[in-house]
Amino acid sequence: MTRKKILGSHLKRLLSGVSDHGKSHLSEVETDLLQTELLLEEAVDKLTRSFMAIHEAVGARQDSINLLLAGGTPSADEIARMKAMSGEVGVHVNSAITSMQFQDMTSQLIDRTLKRVTGLRAFLGTLGTHSAGVNAETGSEEIVDLLGKVSMVLAIQSLELRSVLRKAVNQQHLESGDIELF
Amino acid sequence: MAKTILAVDDSSSLRQMVAFSLKAAGYLVIEAVDGQDGLEKAKLQTVDLVLTDQNMPRMDGLALIKLLRALPAYQKVPILMLTTESSDEMKSKGRAAGANGWLVKPFDPQRLIEVVKKVIG
Repeated sequence: MTRKKILGSHLKRLLSGVSDHGKSHLSEVETDLLQTELLLEEAVDKLTRSFMAIHEAVGARQDSINLLLAGGTPSADEIARMKAMSGEVGVHVNSAITSMQFQDMTSQLIDRTLKRVTGLRAFLGTLGTHSAGVNAETGSEEIVDLLGKVSMVLAIQSLELRSVLRKAVNQQHLESGDIELF
Repeated sequence: MAKTILAVDDSSSLRQMVAFSLKAAGYLVIEAVDGQDGLEKAKLQTVDLVLTDQNMPRMDGLALIKLLRALPAYQKVPILMLTTESSDEMKSKGRAAGANGWLVKPFDPQRLIEVVKKVIG
């Protein structure tokens, strides 16, 4: 292979490697951010509903208490409603607790995105660092050698980055998860 | 006497919610911020159940379980994973490490209490 072709081949490999690496990671960033947004929206929606339901239940309980304090006699319906109240508040509190766990999941997703962004910055920094030694007098053989080294370093960085980016959060909704006893 | 549960999770809000749910059911709860902290606290006092997250700094859940199972006092103590992980591969690893069960987050407090009651009464 002629020197020109070797240079072209190395350059092509480097450029397509950087492009593929960047696109792949940015696509994952997009996925994680969309998932984070979904979980946040659902959490806010469910928490709003839970708190409003708790507010309503507590308000109704207070009405009944006020009636009793005023010496009133609750009707059969009111008695039945009062008996059901403590269970009702408990259900809404449990629902709120399930929803509040969005923080743990979104925190993991955001952490993963930050690690990815940091890794991408380091990856691009490598390109900058290695380009520092290139000037107008640099011969093509040196450039071929440099391109080879940069490709190797970037490949290692790419593998290292992937190794710390395992996806541990696949939840798309805030319904309670499976339970399995072994 | 109330049973004691060690809740291990690097998320402070998650620990609070686990503790809130289990204390409401009459259990005593000791909190640990990661696997290393969990191991140290487990050595200080033998608990009735360990509930641990998987992905934590310093020491993850699987490593914690393996080290606990190596302690004579923890060979029979039930250990449950409470984690966002849901893959069969991770569950197999958990089981192999010595976990007795796998709960996928988010948890419902009522269901959590039911499974804890089933495991330790």
